[in-house]
Amino acid sequence: MGDTAALVAALNATWFGSGLPPDAQTRLADMGRLETYPTGTELLTEGEVCEEVGVVIAGRMALRTLVPERGMVTILTIEPGDIWGWSAIVPPYRGTSTVVTIEPVTSVVFEGAALRIALREDPHLAQVLYPRILVAVSRRLAASRLQLLDLFARDATGGS
Amino acid sequence: MMTTEITRPERTTTAGRWYLDRAGLDDLVAALAADGRTVIGPTVADGAIVYDEIRASADMPHGVGDVQVAGRYRLTKRDDARVFGYVVGPTSWKRWVFPPTIELNTGRRAGHRVEFAPIRPRPERLAFIGVRACEIAAFGVQDRVLDAGPFRDADYAARRASAFIVAVQCTTAETTCFCTSMGTGPEVESGFDLALTELDEGFLLDVGSPAGQQLVEGPLAKAIRPATPVEVYTAAADVAATRARIGDPLPTAGLHDRLLAQLDNPRWAQIAERCITCGNCTLACPTCFCTSVVQKTDMEGIGATNERSWDSCFSPGFARVAGGSFRSRPRDRYRQWLTHKFGTWWDQFGTAGCVGCGRCITWCPVGIDVREELMAIAPPIALSPEPTRVEPVAASFDDFVVAQVVATRLETADTVTLTLSGADPAFSKGSLGQFAMVSIPGFPPLPISISRFTVDGIELTIRGAGPATRAMCALKVGDQLGLRGPLGNNWPIDRAVGRDLVIVTGGIGLAPLRPVIHALAADRRRFGDVRLYYGARTPADILYREEMERWASRGGIEVHLTVDRAGPEWEGRVGVVTQLFDQAQWEGANAIAFVCGPERMMQATANTLAGRGVTTSRIYVTLERHMECGIGLCGHCQMGRFFVCRDGPVFSLEQLGDTFGREGI
Repeated sequence: MGDTAALVAALNATWFGSGLPPDAQTRLADMGRLETYPTGTELLTEGEVCEEVGVVIAGRMALRTLVPERGMVTILTIEPGDIWGWSAIVPPYRGTSTVVTIEPVTSVVFEGAALRIALREDPHLAQVLYPRILVAVSRRLAASRLQLLDLFARDATGGS
Repeated sequence: MMTTEITRPERTTTAGRWYLDRAGLDDLVAALAADGRTVIGPTVADGAIVYDEIRASADMPHGVGDVQVAGRYRLTKRDDARVFGYVVGPTSWKRWVFPPTIELNTGRRAGHRVEFAPIRPRPERLAFIGVRACEIAAFGVQDRVLDAGPFRDADYAARRASAFIVAVQCTTAETTCFCTSMGTGPEVESGFDLALTELDEGFLLDVGSPAGQQLVEGPLAKAIRPATPVEVYTAAADVAATRARIGDPLPTAGLHDRLLAQLDNPRWAQIAERCITCGNCTLACPTCFCTSVVQKTDMEGIGATNERSWDSCFSPGFARVAGGSFRSRPRDRYRQWLTHKFGTWWDQFGTAGCVGCGRCITWCPVGIDVREELMAIAPPIALSPEPTRVEPVAASFDDFVVAQVVATRLETADTVTLTLSGADPAFSKGSLGQFAMVSIPGFPPLPISISRFTVDGIELTIRGAGPATRAMCALKVGDQLGLRGPLGNNWPIDRAVGRDLVIVTGGIGLAPLRPVIHALAADRRRFGDVRLYYGARTPADILYREEMERWASRGGIEVHLTVDRAGPEWEGRVGVVTQLFDQAQWEGANAIAFVCGPERMMQATANTLAGRGVTTSRIYVTLERHMECGIGLCGHCQMGRFFVCRDGPVFSLEQLGDTFGREGI
C-alpha cells in the first residue's frame, strides 16, 4: 500500500481519474496500491478469473488473444489513462483477453472483490465511477468494431 | 523570386490589324465626338496625368513620362513625342462610370404625407481613350460588385454600358506596377472596342468589338492602313518587355487563405503607426466602391435631395452604429481594407478586389506599399514545388504524356514508390495533394496521388490492389508509362499558417499527404504544433518508415503510429487511429486537420476531431471515387454537387455537409 497522496496524484494525472470528487478519490486511494511491472509481465490471462482491475499511469500494455494457426495476436494496446481488468467488476469476472506489459508499466491496482463491495455499498462512489468505466469500455468497443472492419485489407473489393 | 512562365498565344498575324499614325489620333477623337460621345482621355493637370474631357489629341500629353515609387510621383519629359509614355495617374475611370457624387432622389414631407422621387440616371454617352489592361480589369471587378445582381446600380450600369473603350497596351511600367501578379495585365486581351499599341510614330490598332469595327470601316477608314509585320512584331515585343520589367512582385497563389489566417498578426498595429487613415488609397483605387448618402435639406427642412458620395472604409465613422464604431482603431481599418482587397473580396465576388495598378502605393502620403505589407504578413510558404497552380498537360480523353521510371522502391509487400522523370515540367510544379491519371496500355487509366515532387519529375506510391496497379508496381527502371495531370485541387496548406496542424491518415492515404509533410518541414516555423497520426493494417504495412523517423527527429513533427493488428513482437500501439488522440492533451480550437484514408476511418476521425473542438470548416478530407477521365467529363466520380476529380479530391467537411459518410451517395 503506497501513501494516499501519491495515489491520488497518480490518478489525477489520467483522464480516468482526474476531476473525481475528493471523497471518491480518497476512497479509491485507500483501496488501491501503486505497482510497477517489468516488460513482459502477464497481468491477466484470457478466460481466467480476473481478480484485479487497474488504471495505467505510465507505460504500455498489449491486449492479446490466441488465434488458431496465428498464435498470440495483439488486438489492442492500452496507454496511460486506460483501464485494464475491468472484467473484475463485471460478471462473470473472467478476462476477455490476455494482458501483457510491453513496456515497464506503472499502474494503480485495485482488488476486484474489494472494489465490487465498495461500488455496491457506496452509491456515491458508484455514481461517479461507473460513467468513467462505461466510457473506457465503450471506447474499446468502438475501436474494436472499427478494427473489425479491416479497413486497410489487401483484398478490398474493386481494386483496379 | 520565382519566375512565372505564362505563355500567351501571340497574335502575330497582320490580318485585321491596322496602323494609325499619331496625327490620326485626332481623327479618332473627332469620330467619337461625332458619335455624340463625351471623350475622356489623359491630360496633364496639376503635375499629374489626369483623365478628363478632351477635344483633340493636343489636349493629351505628348512626350510626357512619369516616375512612381511608394509615396512619390513626378512627371518627366520624354525624348520622344509619345502620347501614352507613362502609366496610370491618380485618377481612374471610376470617376466617370461611378462618379464621386451623384444625386439619387428627392424626398419631401407634405403635411402627413411623404413623397419620394428618384432622379433617373441620364446616361451620357462616353468614350474613354487610353484605358490600360489593369483598368479594364477594374471595370470587370466593378461590374461584379455593382452590376452582377441580384441588385444593380442602375446609374453605374448605364454609364458603363454607354462607354466606348479605346484601350492602350502598356509599353512602359513603373516600380509600383504589379498587374502581372494580379493576372490583369499588361496585355489587353478583351473588354475593349479598339486597342492601341504605341509605336515610335503611331499606333498598332486592333479591333475588339462590332462598334470598334464600325469605326474602322467608317470614319477612321481614311486614317488607317494595314499594319506591317514589323509593326505587329514590335508592338508585341514592347508589351512583352513590359511584362518582363514588372516581373512577379507579389506571389498571390494561396494569398487569400494565408492573409485571412493572420487577423492577429502584430504587423497590423505596426502599419497603423504609419498609416494616417487619410483614405487616399481608396479614392485612388479603381475598384473601391464604398459610398455614403447625405441629405441636402431645403431651408424649410421638409424637402431634401439625397446625394451619394464616395466614402472610405478608412473614414472613422464608416462602421459606426449608435453604440460606437466597430473599427475604431486605425489598425482595424487598415486590416479591413487589405483583407477585403486580397481576401474576402474573393469570397464575395469571385475575384480579388485589387488589379495591381499600384495607385494606392504611389499616392499613399507615407509610402505604404501593399505588396511589402502582404509579403510581411502572409508570405508564401517555402515549398519545393511552386505554389502557383499550373495548367495540367494532356488534359483530354485521348492524350497522355510519357514519363520514365528512374527508380523504384519497395515500401511494403504490396506497395511500391516509382520515381518518374522526363514527364512534362508541369508535373513537378503540381500542388500538394494533386494526382495524375496514370496509364499503362492494356489497363484502365487510374488516378494516383503524387507522393513527392522532385526537381524534374514526381513520385507515385502505388499499392497493388488489382491488375492495373499490380502492373504499375511491377514496372522496372527504364519502363515508361503515360500520365495526364497534375489534376485536382490541393490541401489548403496556406490556411494552416499560424495554426496547429493535425494530419490523420491510414494505409496508402499517407501518400497524398507526404508532399504536405515535406512542405511543412521545409518551413516549419510558420506553423504551430504539427502532429501526424498514422494507422496501418500491420507493422509491415507502415509506409515511409525511415522517412517518418526523419520527420520526427529533424522535421519537428510529432509522429504517432498505430496498427490494427500485430504479433507479440510489435511494441508500438495497436488500435484504430482515433485512439491515438481521442484522449490527447491538445485543444483543437486553433487547429486545422487534413485527413486521408478509407471513408469509414475518415468519418470516425472527423467525429473525434469535432469532439476536440476542430470546426468542420477546418477539417479537410480527400475523397476516393471511381475516376476514368480525371477532368470532370466522364461523370463517374460525381458526389452530391461535386465531381471529385475536378472540384476535389480535397474537401472541407463544411463543403460536403451531410453527404459525407452517407450511404449510397
